[in-house]
Amino acid sequence: MAYTPQFYPGSTSVGINRRKHMSGNVDKLRDIPEADVVAAMGHRAPGADYGSTHPPLKEMGEPDCPIRQIVAPTPGAAAGDRVRYSQFTDSYYFAPAIPYWRSYWGAINAKGCDPGTLSGRQIIEARERDIEKYTKTIMDSEMFDPALCGMRGCTVHGHSLRLQENGMMFDMLARTEMGKDGNVYQVKSQVGIPLDKKSSLGKPMSESEAKKRTTIFRFDGIPVGGKVGARKNDEAVDALHHMWELRSKWGYRPE
Amino acid sequence: MVTKSDTDSVQVEIVPSRFLTPETAQRLLNEIYKNGGIRRIMIHGPNMPRTVPYGPGKGMPIEENKDRLLEIGGQAIELKVTVGRIRLELEREEYIGSLKAACERALPFSFQFRRGKFFHDRMTTSDYAKYGKVEDERILGLIDPKAKKDKMAVLSEERVTFEEEEER
Repeated sequence: MAYTPQFYPGSTSVGINRRKHMSGNVDKLRDIPEADVVAAMGHRAPGADYGSTHPPLKEMGEPDCPIRQIVAPTPGAAAGDRVRYSQFTDSYYFAPAIPYWRSYWGAINAKGCDPGTLSGRQIIEARERDIEKYTKTIMDSEMFDPALCGMRGCTVHGHSLRLQENGMMFDMLARTEMGKDGNVYQVKSQVGIPLDKKSSLGKPMSESEAKKRTTIFRFDGIPVGGKVGARKNDEAVDALHHMWELRSKWGYRPE
Repeated sequence: MVTKSDTDSVQVEIVPSRFLTPETAQRLLNEIYKNGGIRRIMIHGPNMPRTVPYGPGKGMPIEENKDRLLEIGGQAIELKVTVGRIRLELEREEYIGSLKAACERALPFSFQFRRGKFFHDRMTTSDYAKYGKVEDERILGLIDPKAKKDKMAVLSEERVTFEEEEER
C-alpha cells in the first residue's frame, strides 16, 4: 500500500519541524566549504588522502551474499575508509535540532551511519567520506545554527547553560567566536585544536527565527500540548499517551 | 544548643540571565563593591580551563581563557570562571535596595535577585577534614570542599573576600 510516512504527529510548529528533520526535507540555509567542514572535524587535513581499514571492496572479493547484492555500499564503505565521527551539542535555548532529532535524521536519511544520542550531545559515526558529507549536510541546513549549535568532540557541555552575552552557547574551549562582522567563525577543531585558518559559519539566527525553526518544546515557546488553555491537547500528546499506554501495559505489542 | 543569630547580616543571590563577559563582570563587581556593606562574596560559574582538559588536544593552551584580569576596587583579580552567579552577604538589610539598583545599572539584561540563606555558617565535616579549625569563619560556605585552595582570593584585609568556585 502506498502511503506517505507521517514521521511525527501534531500541528504545532515544533511538530512540523520535527517532521521536516525526520523526513530529510530541510531547508538549506548556508554553504560552508567542504574543506572548512573537514578541518573543523579534525580527522584529516583537507585534501589529504583518506585512511583505510581494508582494501576497496572490489579488490577484496566479497562472499556470495544476497544482502550484499541488494544493498549498494556507501562510497566510504566501498573505498574501505576508517570510521570517524562528528558530534554536536545543541543549546536548550531554542536550538534548531536536539540530539534525538539529529539522530532520527541520521538513522532515516544517512545511509551506513551509526547515530548515538545522549542527553546533551549527539554523535554520528560513519565511514570517513560519508560522515564528511553528512556533517556538511547538517551544517548547511536548518538543523544547525552557528550560535546555538556547536560541533564538539570533547568537553561537550554547554547545552544546559545560559547563553553568553553575545547570544552564543557557552563553550569552555572557545571553538567558535563571534566576529565583528556578525558572523560566527570556527577557530578550533571539534576537539579544541586551533585551525590554520578560521572559517565563517555564517550569521546566527535571530531569536524569533530560532523559535520558528526549533524542534524543542518549551513552556516559554511552544508547549508540547499545543496552545495553552485550549480544550484539546495537540495530537502529539495523544500519540505519546497512546504509545506510553501500549508500551507500559503490553510491552509495546500493538495487536 | 546555642543558635547563632543571623539577624544582623543578610544574604542575597544575583543570577543574570546571560553569562557575563569579563567587562560586564568587572562593571558589575565594581558597582557592588562601591555599594559597600559586603561581608563576603562568591563568584560562581563554569570553569575556564587554561588548557584543553580531555581528548586528542589535551594539554593545548586555550589562549582565550588566559589573562582575564578584573580590576575591582583598585585591585587586580584573575578571573578563572565565567561569571554566572554572585552570592553576597551584606552587613545590614539597608544595603539591599542600593545593591539591586547597582545591578540594574551594570547589567544590560534581566537578572534574578533573591534573598535567602546561601552560605552555611557552621563547619561541615568536609570543611574540618580539609582545613581544620579556621580562625576567620567568613570563609565557611565559600569553599567548595573539592576545589583547590588557590581558588579563593582574599582581596582586602578589611572586609572583602573573593572566591571562585567550579560549577559541578
